[in-house]
Amino acid sequence: MFVYTREAHPGERVPHHDTFERKLEHARLLRDEGGIRRNILVDDISGTVHRAYGSMPNMTWVIGRGGRVVYKANWTNASNVESFLDRYLDAYAQVPRGTGRAPYVTEQLEFRPVDHRHFQERLLRNGPRAVQEFDNAKELWARGDTGGS
Amino acid sequence: MNEQAVPDGPGPYNYPNFDQHIAEGGERHAEAAFRDAMGAGEQAKDYTLLRLEDGARVELSELWRARPLVMEFGSFT
Repeated sequence: MFVYTREAHPGERVPHHDTFERKLEHARLLRDEGGIRRNILVDDISGTVHRAYGSMPNMTWVIGRGGRVVYKANWTNASNVESFLDRYLDAYAQVPRGTGRAPYVTEQLEFRPVDHRHFQERLLRNGPRAVQEFDNAKELWARGDTGGS
Repeated sequence: MNEQAVPDGPGPYNYPNFDQHIAEGGERHAEAAFRDAMGAGEQAKDYTLLRLEDGARVELSELWRARPLVMEFGSFT
């Protein structure tokens, strides 16, 4: 399932949401041009669900049967999610009599592949302003001028 | 339905300009909000969202009631 949020890199062609109707229109773009075939659930205009789960632009959460958080990643890496699901589902497989599985929590710094050319093409698809603003942001990151102390 | 207040960022949620969002600390805020959100092993917050395909209102808890739920968040851009 996919939760549609705010636009991360708005541009002339795909601007930020100023109404819920525009948000629905852009969600259809995600389905029709972005090729998302999963069910898309659209958050409200103020991002209630997105903010409750942490506001990151492309995070993945896995919720176990009954509602317990079993996986959270602040960026989506499909192979990482798949490998987790394999291990998680395996935990419910039959085990020898007299043994069991006990839950524990881990935290790692993971690395995902980044295709800079593909990302630039996607920015341009949003409009030239999206490209310029990402370049501006790179200067802010280089200077550490990102609004925090 | 979860009625708990959710954290606001430093600028507008639907920011019109990415560079301004970064300059205002929006990215730092999101990273901290993610860390502070529910942890592994805790009960997930339940909300109702609109399903794009048919306009139905869907409760997250209905989706995770019988089997695990993978939730990817994202946008077109």
